[in-house]
Parts: sequence; structure tokens; C-alpha cells
Amino acid sequence: MSEAEKSGQVLVDLAGVRKEYGQAVALDGVTLQIRAGEAAAVMGPSGCGKSTLLNMIAGLDRPTAGTVTVAGHDLGRLGESALALFRRRHIGMIFQFFNLIDDLPALDNVALAAQLTGTPARTARARALDLLGELGVAGRKDAYPATLSGGQRQRVGVARALMNRPALLLADEPTGALDSRSGEQVMDLLIDLNQIGQTLLIVTHDLELATRCAGRLIEFADGQVVGQGAAGAGR
Amino acid sequence: MSAVWRTARAAVARRRVQTLLIGLVVLCCTATAVLALGLLDAATTPFDRAFEHQRGAHVVASFDAAKANPAALARTAARPGVQAAAGPFGQVVADFPRTTDIPEAEGPLTIAGRAGPGGPVDRVSVLYGRWARAPGEIVLNLPAADGPRRPQALGARLTAPGLPPLTVVGLASSMSRSADAWVTPAQMAALRPRAVQMLYRFEEAATGPELRAAMAALSDGLPAGALASAATHLALRQAFADLAAAYLPLLTVFGVLALLVAVLIVAGVVSGAVVSGLRHIGVLKALGFTPGQVVAVYLTMVSVPAAIGAALGAAAGAALAGPVLRAAFQGVDAGVAEIGFGGWVPGVCLAGMPLLVAAAALVPALRARRLSAAAAISAGSAPRPGRGLRVQRALGGARLPRPVSLGLGLPFARPGRTAMTMAAIVVGLTSVTLTTGLGVTMAAFAAADRPPAGQVGVRVGEAAFGENAPRLDDRRIEALLRSLPGVRQVTAKVFRQVRLAGQARRGDINFQRGDTSPLAAQVVQGRWFDGPGQIVAPPAFLSQRGLAVGDRITLLLNGRRAEARIVGRLMSGDARFAWASWDTLTALDPRASADTYEVRLAAGVDPRRYADAVRAADPGLHPSFSLETGTTAATVVGVAGVFTALLIAVAALGVFNTVLLTTRERRRELGVLKSIGMTPRQVTVMTVTSVAAQGAAGALIAIPAGMLAHRLIVDNVGIVEFPDAMKDVFQPSHLVALALAGVVIAVLGALAPACSAARLTVAAVLHAE
Ligand SMILES: Nc1ncnc2c1ncn2[C@@H]1O[C@H](COP(=O)(O)OP(=O)(O)OP(=O)(O)O)[C@@H](O)[C@H]1O
Ligand SMILES: [Mg+2]
Repeated sequence: MSEAEKSGQVLVDLAGVRKEYGQAVALDGVTLQIRAGEAAAVMGPSGCGKSTLLNMIAGLDRPTAGTVTVAGHDLGRLGESALALFRRRHIGMIFQFFNLIDDLPALDNVALAAQLTGTPARTARARALDLLGELGVAGRKDAYPATLSGGQRQRVGVARALMNRPALLLADEPTGALDSRSGEQVMDLLIDLNQIGQTLLIVTHDLELATRCAGRLIEFADGQVVGQGAAGAGR
Repeated sequence: MSAVWRTARAAVARRRVQTLLIGLVVLCCTATAVLALGLLDAATTPFDRAFEHQRGAHVVASFDAAKANPAALARTAARPGVQAAAGPFGQVVADFPRTTDIPEAEGPLTIAGRAGPGGPVDRVSVLYGRWARAPGEIVLNLPAADGPRRPQALGARLTAPGLPPLTVVGLASSMSRSADAWVTPAQMAALRPRAVQMLYRFEEAATGPELRAAMAALSDGLPAGALASAATHLALRQAFADLAAAYLPLLTVFGVLALLVAVLIVAGVVSGAVVSGLRHIGVLKALGFTPGQVVAVYLTMVSVPAAIGAALGAAAGAALAGPVLRAAFQGVDAGVAEIGFGGWVPGVCLAGMPLLVAAAALVPALRARRLSAAAAISAGSAPRPGRGLRVQRALGGARLPRPVSLGLGLPFARPGRTAMTMAAIVVGLTSVTLTTGLGVTMAAFAAADRPPAGQVGVRVGEAAFGENAPRLDDRRIEALLRSLPGVRQVTAKVFRQVRLAGQARRGDINFQRGDTSPLAAQVVQGRWFDGPGQIVAPPAFLSQRGLAVGDRITLLLNGRRAEARIVGRLMSGDARFAWASWDTLTALDPRASADTYEVRLAAGVDPRRYADAVRAADPGLHPSFSLETGTTAATVVGVAGVFTALLIAVAALGVFNTVLLTTRERRRELGVLKSIGMTPRQVTVMTVTSVAAQGAAGALIAIPAGMLAHRLIVDNVGIVEFPDAMKDVFQPSHLVALALAGVVIAVLGALAPACSAARLTVAAVLHAE
């Protein structure tokens, strides 16, 4: 991360990315670049392909056509296992509906991301506890997701996404399932993260979130980028 | 209703695998149930049907002709309580030596004089040929009508001391077993019978006391001691149900077991389907479905495949039943009873299985009905902290690869779901352990009854039968048989009828010398004889004479006597026979010689070649051998095999289905894990570890449970006492195979959804949820 960030290099590079689901065209030739250290927000009506775009960048799905390059990796050339390793090392994901592992307590949900890479349990848990502390939910470390509030769950989700110090943090409607107060807290968190150099790509419906968090607004419609511009906040 | 139907249809379409599995499980279970109930029904009703059809005799009475005159006997037909009577028929017992190949025409035969097969009682069925019309003609009773056809039996000539030669003109079957053979009344009169037979049907004939009372009332007007003996239909019925060979009880156990397991697995699979649909139920409720409609949706979802499965299963069961029943009843003296079962059997199964399925679905469906929509939506997704948490924490910190420790921890997070999976594994594996064990025991039992391959019996020719007598004497024959190539062991034997002091019944004792007979392996109490004055006998021989192992008896033969002690009891066998050593016979008959030699050949030696060598060496020796290793063994194993196969299929489907469901529920989680960097391999390792752990734990419970159940059953069921060798059937390799089978089935059930989840792109999995 640091290398790319220092030089403000292109971290994400999409060239003519197209994604079809049967007849439906979710992405219709998207070309887009995101530089290290940037905070970008993708906005657009429901069903226009925003989540699909994030999935492409995270290597969770493959484009029908076009290339996706993230941190120098051409994702089209990576196999499933290599993609998993790529995600571990470079990507942190935050979901609208948290997607925590129901069967694991908060601490282990966070630590898991590091343990998968072979980090010893002790080290992983120590760092996870630090992160939970920074996010203000250390007190709920032993709680199962089902017993946490939405805001708490999302903070655990953010902690998990940050666990492996990802080059790129992807957030799909991170505040979408939260009340306005919790949403604001999560928003502040993301802004702070970006301030210390975290590259951020947020998908949101929320114009306020977009303008406050992001330095750049990407407007999406019918699977295409229809406009880009600088936003007020961010760097 | 149309909303319910449409929703159920959509749900079925989305859960094709689950629907298919429910159908398959119900199919296998219904087939098993049809077979099991059919077997139980067939064990009793065919006898009744055939017996009633022949107007079978409740009592076959034989009277002393010197004490009761025919007119007085004929009048007994009018006594109160007598429904119908036939007779009097003259009756003699004649001892027929073996002169033909007809086993029914050998030994002491009871012959009755009857003008025809019909009459008010005991309407004998003539199967081949015709009834006797003239003196010199005889009709034989076939205890089993469906044996091989023996047209060559007609025309055979039977000779016995004191009788004119008799020509077999017919083969018939009497369910009452009133006689072993029949001649015309004129022929009978010429034989000067000293006994007279009467056949009775009574108004009250269901129990022993009723029959005794009826007979007492009947012999009231007759001179004391006129009634010589009376055989009741109860004994015949018993003999039929007991199935002479003792494996029907075991087959029955198989049937009951299969039924039970089928029910358990169906219940498990169906309630699993409902439980795993809880979230769906919550959504339906949120949509405004009434609780009743929700129940209806779920009942429809499981009842449709269940009904189809039951229909196909009943058809399959009915198709399988013919061969299975024929095999099960082979060797039973069924008379003309047609082995089969009533139409109610498939009917009950056809109606019962879907009802059972609906009932199994109803319990969890009703629970879901009470659940609030919110609770249902989050049902199963809220593990409670507690012991599970501690285990999870410990595992999370353990020095294991994380996918492995995750997999081990999963079962603890959801005790309910784990219990469901474990229950399926335990029920399935216990029953498979039990049935395979029973199968091995029954195979061993059936095999013990048959001459093993590589055994040649050598009979000494008898001049009385028109055969050459051997040139060599007894001892030289034995030496000859031992000297021919390929011989491993030779046992010389002779059957002698011996009186036992103080006993009315004689015993046919087989005296043996030479190598120990393989029968010695079937001693279940005491030991095989190893010196003079020692007797080994089957349980029936002992119980009918009030004897037990350790008792002393005196043998009487030709005016000589020999003291003997019962030293061993065999597993099973005929009540007439017992075994003793040659020295015991020498004491009774110093000049006795063997008439049969049992030769066991070394492995791989062709019995044909050996037999040829024997004939060449002395044309007075008649070797015989069977090339097939026991058809009974094959058929019993076949019957057990059918049940075992069905049970294994049902158990495997049950486990597969449960694991499939629980893993499928985890698909979203698998997607999440992949999104944070779990490789497909790690996903597979985790899933497999999780179910393999449950499979192994299930095996730890199920295998000992199955072994215990097997032991309980072989110790307590049936009239056979199995020797330990037939009870200790679980070889280490067998157990390992069983445990592996449990784990493998569980893993297979998990792999399909795990692989599809691992193969699917994460986006698709997460999108689908
Ligand atoms: N796995 C999939 N299978 C089939 N169609 C899909 C899949 N994922 C997305 N789509 C389709 O692709 C289009 C874009 O979906 P996407 O989820 O990217 O929209 P979105 O912009 O994120 O919408 P929202 O704001 O509602 O989340 C939609 O028409 C959707 O139905
Ligand atoms: Mg979306």
C-alpha cells in the first residue's frame, strides 16, 4: 500500500469493463481509475450496477469483457485461490448488511481475517482488540453478531475490513442499514481513515455521505459512468 | 388457497435437491415397510388361508382299533362341540428303507386308508397324478408343495418289510398332515391296521385348553385308553410360523428395524426441511400469510414429494416382495400355502407414509406457526453464548490451521442444528452396524447348515436296494478314502436308532470316528464329545426328552446297555438326532460298521475327480457332493442383504440430506469468508472438517450402540443359540469400514453444497442471499 500511496499511483484501473447477467447488462463498458490515497464515492439509482462494480474490483466476480487491474494485479489472470490471496492482502470490504459470521463472536470475526493468512491467534486477537477499541466496541468483543446493534455490527465489520491493512477499502452502502446517528459515526470513521492515507471507494445513495467523505464523486447510470467531479470534502 | 399452492410450488422448485431427497427417502422407506410388513404378514396368514381352504383338521386323532370300534368312533362326529369329522380311516406305520430318490418315501411313514381326497375335513390337494383307486397304489404327502416338480416320483415302486409293493400314483398335500401317505380303504384293510384315524374340526379350537376340553368331551363315551394320540393344528401353525429353520425371527427383526429406522429418518428429513425453512417462514409471515397458511405451505411442500415417493415405493416394495418372500420361506414345509401377503400391506404403507411425513412436518410447522415473524427470520442465526463460546474461543486460539479450527467450532455454535445432523448420523450408522452384523450372523448360521464346498459324502452300497456291496470292509474303506489324493479329513459315521432308558421316544444317534466333524463348531454349551459315553445333541432333542447338558442317560440297543452323559448342546437341529463317538457304539454293538464317510478335501481339490477315484477303487461306494455352497445361505443372505441395502440407502440419504441442508444454510457465510480472503481450498477444508468431526463423533456413539443391539438380538431372538463365533461378527476392518462410511457419507453430503458454494463466485452467493 505504502509504495503506491506515496507516489499517488493508479491503484485501481478499469478498462472497458462489461458485465452481463444473462440478458441483463449490469456494467456497460466502464473505464475508471482510482489513485492511492483517494476517497471516491459512487452514486446512482438502484440497479445501475454499483455493487457489481465493487465486486469486480474486489475480485468477487469476473467481468464479461474488459480488464480490471488492482495494485498491479490483472485480476483476469488470477485463479480463484490467487484471487483469495489477493483479497486478503489488498482489499477490505464493508457491506450494507454487515455479513459477519453469525457463529463467531465479534473478536474472532475480526481476528479471522488475519488468521486466514497464517497470523498466530494471539497476535491476530491482540490487533483485533486494538481495532475494536479504536472503533469503540471493545466492550462487546465476546458478543455474537445477532446480539449487537446495527451500528455495532458495522463497526465490527469495519474493524474486520481493516484487519489486514488493505490497500483499498471498499464499502457498499456502509450506512444503508443504520440509523442516522450510527450512520454518522461510521461516516466519521471512514473520513478519519482516509485522512491517515486509506484509499476508499464508497457506494452510496446518500449525497451527504458522498460529499463529506469523498474527494471525488462518480455518477453511475445504466451500468455506465455518466459523470465525475470533485466533491467538497476529502483530500 | 391458490396463494398457498403457488408459494409451495415455488418453494419446491427452488429446493429441487431437497424435494428429490424427501421423495427418495420416502420411496426407500415405503419399499422397506412393504417388505417388512409383508414378511410379518406372510409368516402367519398364508397358513390360515390354505388351512381353511382345505377345511383343515383341528385335531388328527388316532385310536386303538382294538378298544374303539368303528361305529362308536363314527358317532363321535355328532358329539357337542364337534363341527365336522372325517373317518374312521385305518392307519398303519411302516418303515420304508431308501429305495428311491423320493425323500418323502423314506423312513417310518404313517399310511391312512382313504377312498378320496375330499370330505368334510382335511380336503387334501392332489398336486400331481391322481388319488389311489386300486390296491397296490399309494399317494404321498408333500410337506412343501412348491418344491421342485418331481414327475419321476409318479410310478416309483415302494417296498417295505411286511407290505406288498406299492406304486406311487399321486403326490398330494395335506395342511393338517393327517398322514404321510394314503392307500385305498381296501388296501388298508388288507394291511390289518391296529390304529384308526379320526379327523375333527371343533367349534372352539383357538387354544390348547379348548382343544383338550373338546377331546376330553369326545372320548367320554369311548373305552378308557382308546385315544392313542392327538396332533393339533396349533403345533402345525407354530411350526410354520417358527419356520423350522430359525432365521425368520431374525428376518422379522430386520423388518421391524427397517420400519423403525425408516420412520425416524423420514421424520428427521422432513422436520429438517421445515426447520431450515424458518427464515422463509418468517418472510411469508411478514408478507401477511396467516399462521394456518404457513403451515399449509410447508405441509404441501413435503407432502407432494412424499406422496409420489410413497406410490413408487409401494410399487417397488410389492415387486421386490415376491423373490424376497420366496427366499425367506425356502425350506419351510408350507404345504399348499401360497407364500404372499395381503393387499392391505402396500395399501397401509401407501396411505401411512404420507401421513407419517405430514405428521413429522406438522410438529416443526406448528412451532413455526407460533413463532413471531421477526423471531422466525432470525431463527437459527442467534447462537447463544455459553459453553459454545468457550469452545469457540479455545479453538480460535488453538495451534491449528484456522479453517480446521473453524470447522471444529461450527458444530458447537449451533447445538440444535448439530443435534439434528448427529441424530441422522447416529440413527443411520447404528442401524447399518446392526444390520450388517445380523447379516453376517445369519450368513454364518445358514452356511453352518449346509455341507461346505469340498465335502464329499461316500455311502456304502446296499444289496437290498439292488446296489453292489463294497468289496472292502469298513476299516479298509476308511483307509482307502484317506489314501486317495486331495484328502484333508475323513469322518466315518453310522446312524443307529437307540432306546433311551426311561424315555418313550427313541433317538437316532450318529456314531462317528476319525476326524472331528465340522459340526463340533456348533456346540453352544458344553463341548464336542472326546471319548466313550459322551453325547452331543441339539436343543430340541434335549427339551423333548427333558434332558440337559450334564445329565446321565442309559442307551439300549440289541439287549446291551451303555451309560452316557450329555456333554454338549448344539446350536440347532432335528429333535430325533444326537451325536456320539464310535467307542460308545462299540459298547452296544461290537461288530457295527460305518455306512457313510464324510470326506473333506483340501482347498482347490475337485470333488468330481475325487468321486471318480472312489468309484474306480470300489464300485460298491457311492460318493455324492454338491457343487453349490448352500442355496439357503445364499437366499438368507440375499433377504438380509435387501434390507441392509435399503437401510443403508435410507440412512445415507438421511445423513446426506441433513448435512446438505445445514451446509446450504451456511452458503452466505461461505461467501463472506471468501470475500475476506478464504481460498476455495480453505472453504472445503473447513466444511469437511466440520462434518467429518460430527461423523466421527456420531460413529463413536453409533457403532458401539449397533454392536450392543446386535448382541442383544442374537442372544434373545429366535430358537437358535448362536455359538460365540457367529456372534462375534465385528472384525476390526468391518468397524473401520463402518466408521469410514459414516464420515464419508457425511462428507459427501457436505461437499456438494460446499463445492458449489466454493465454485460459485462470491458475488453470486451473496447476491442470492
Ligand atoms: N448475481 C447476479 N445475478 C443476476 N443478476 C444480477 C446479479 N447481480 C446483479 N444483477 C443485476 O445487475 C444489475 C445491477 O445490480 P447491482 O446490484 O450492481 O445494482 P446496484 O446499483 O448495486 O443497486 P442497489 O443500489 O439497489 O444496490 C441489476 O439489474 C441486478 O438485477
Ligand atoms: Mg447494491
